[in-house]
Amino acid sequence: MSQSMNRRAMRAGSAAVAALLAIGLTSCAATSNGATSADGGSSGDGAGSGEKVTIKFAWWGSDSRVASTQQIIDAFEAENPDIHVEPVSTSWDDYFEKMNVMAAGNDLPDVMTQDDRYLTEYASRGLLADLASLDVDTSKVDQSVVDTGKIDDTLYGIATGVNVHAVVADPAVFEQAGVALPDDTTWTWEDYSDIAAQITAATGGSAYGVQNYSFIEPVLAIYARQHGEEIFTKDGAIGVSPETIESWFQRTVDQIASQAEPSAETATEIQGAGVDGSLPSTNKGAMAWFWSNQLSAIEKSAGRPLTLLRAPGDSEFERTGEYLRAAMYYAVSAKSEHPAEAAKFVDFMLNSQTAGDINLTDRGLPANLEVREAILPKLSDADKTSAAFIESLTDDGTFADSKPVPPKGSGEVSDITGRINSDVIFGKITPADAAQRWIDEVNKAIGQ
Amino acid sequence: MSAISELRTLSTKRRGPRPTAVTNLRKSDGRAAAVFLAPWFLGLFAITLFPLGASAYLSFTRYDMLSAPQWVGLQNFVDMVHDPRLLQSLRVTFTYVVTGVPLQLVAALAIAVLLNQGMRGLAFYRSVVYLPSLMGGSVAIAILWRQVFGEDGLVNKALGVFGIEGMGWVSNPDTALWTIVLLHVWTFGSPMVIFLAGLRQIPDMYYEAAQLDGASKWRQFRSVTLPLLSPIIFFNLVMQVITAFQAFTQAYVVSGGTGGPSDSTLFYTLYLYQEGFQNLRMGYASAMAWVLVLIVLAMTGANFLLSKFWVFYED
Repeated sequence: MSQSMNRRAMRAGSAAVAALLAIGLTSCAATSNGATSADGGSSGDGAGSGEKVTIKFAWWGSDSRVASTQQIIDAFEAENPDIHVEPVSTSWDDYFEKMNVMAAGNDLPDVMTQDDRYLTEYASRGLLADLASLDVDTSKVDQSVVDTGKIDDTLYGIATGVNVHAVVADPAVFEQAGVALPDDTTWTWEDYSDIAAQITAATGGSAYGVQNYSFIEPVLAIYARQHGEEIFTKDGAIGVSPETIESWFQRTVDQIASQAEPSAETATEIQGAGVDGSLPSTNKGAMAWFWSNQLSAIEKSAGRPLTLLRAPGDSEFERTGEYLRAAMYYAVSAKSEHPAEAAKFVDFMLNSQTAGDINLTDRGLPANLEVREAILPKLSDADKTSAAFIESLTDDGTFADSKPVPPKGSGEVSDITGRINSDVIFGKITPADAAQRWIDEVNKAIGQ
Repeated sequence: MSAISELRTLSTKRRGPRPTAVTNLRKSDGRAAAVFLAPWFLGLFAITLFPLGASAYLSFTRYDMLSAPQWVGLQNFVDMVHDPRLLQSLRVTFTYVVTGVPLQLVAALAIAVLLNQGMRGLAFYRSVVYLPSLMGGSVAIAILWRQVFGEDGLVNKALGVFGIEGMGWVSNPDTALWTIVLLHVWTFGSPMVIFLAGLRQIPDMYYEAAQLDGASKWRQFRSVTLPLLSPIIFFNLVMQVITAFQAFTQAYVVSGGTGGPSDSTLFYTLYLYQEGFQNLRMGYASAMAWVLVLIVLAMTGANFLLSKFWVFYED
């Protein structure tokens, strides 16, 4: 008779145990409230003069960003010996889950990095402070970039740096296929699809023309802007027409058929593999859409120089589509007990050359134009490429206006887009049905 | 007390006088027991009952975690009826439970019978076949699973040897769920160990009598082993059904937290998690949790009712 058997059997069988196990389920949904209240108020120590003030700073990011951010904190503390900055960091995947739970426990960090998908979510619930009323200098930041952090004319977030969504292209694959790199100031969406199909055909399938673009929504945002629309209007309603969404999904379907891009299964697998597993990262494709600051990571994986192309179709419809996106924002909690110190820290992150030299382009190409200018020589080749790319688009006025901050609930748009795209590429729904479902589900998410 | 008879007292309505030794023990050691149980009770109240009460309350509210909950009555439960993703998650979960649990039990029983042939080094083999269960629920194995069933994975390499062209098993909506069912079947260790112990409880005399009557091995298995083992099978079934309804880690990791492709691996618990922690609908998620409790209770109740027809208690 085995011992483990006896013990198991003793516990076992009883309906009471079964019920308890089952009931244990519900607690997983509820542990969030109150779980964090235990350590609440730890930042409230020592507000009196001469005593050391502690503020919390939360950010997401990889190990290298943890190390570099700590350097910045050290430099800040050296300049401000009466302020102690307590770091709170997680990976991107867990970040907003953690922030949501902290907000629920009334324990938001004094300073946090924010993402545009959640900025309205937090601001509309009164969780974020008006930065214009605090002592943060934004005079060195381009006004259109400052505006990306404004909701109803209140400044809730200051852009850390900027990104632009663009086509990462691998010249080596173009050469291998015998296809010339397109003139990206004039190319149309048809050119884009044709070139991609040619490359797959010419390389015999060892490299694909382009990676599927419709798992996430930034390309739709560009495409909508080219048609004079916005995914979300300034009033927070959907501004993109079903026809635009339909033709956007239709291109995916057509490109799978023409083998310009991988099959549904392969596309799903590549998407799941993230930046490191993308087509250009693995030398298996000529083009893929990414944020400009991801170029250096992709180039590192690829092991050869890559370049950036503008979105196709900028001269095809009503206007240009690209927009500057805040890579992330610095935001201050409305309930911070030390707003002045929090503002001082934000100002240091934004405006000091010391912080800029450590950050480089890790939080996007610096929003502060003087800091940006000064770090340019220190950048890697890939970062220089993306900096020059942003500069050339800025110079010829491609970023005609800033994209409105998305409304509350827009954090779900990526997931919705990805889900619907799966159904489209596996042929479960038509692009027309996909467009309607996208509008219905996004409306539900933003509570319209 | 043997495992079988213990189970019997626990799971049937048979009432008999309890052994007097237990009664005496309870009297003399009552205070000590209370002291030893105190930490557990503390945990029960702080970690189980309080969140339980909170989630019960939240299930009647709209709660986004960032602002105070608002009472909405039964609205969350009404919404669930009209939520296509919820229905999809039920479909996925029931498919998983209805296929994964029986397959896993069959595998567990088969291995247990095999190991019960009186071989040498039983302890070693038992540990080896138990190994997958120790790792199966882990994130590492789920990631490994993604690789093994990926387009360039081991499975397709093996198929390639036979000239069969594989597919992206995890990235195809028609097959993704089955890779997770397979992962579940593979973790047959804990029911297997229980089966093994149960098999060793069956007295040899029944087999000897059956052999004298000329019964074949298969006949012995059907007419002796299965009936005598049925209380153990029942116990394993109840426990595994409950565990299977709570499956989360595998689905979360294999699909990268999305339940994709095309919601084909959207387990109930995964959808609950997405709604609560990603989409800030904690009230709805709490309501979902309670509905799951009711479903699991109903399934367990049905199991107990049906057990009358097939579970055999010796004597």
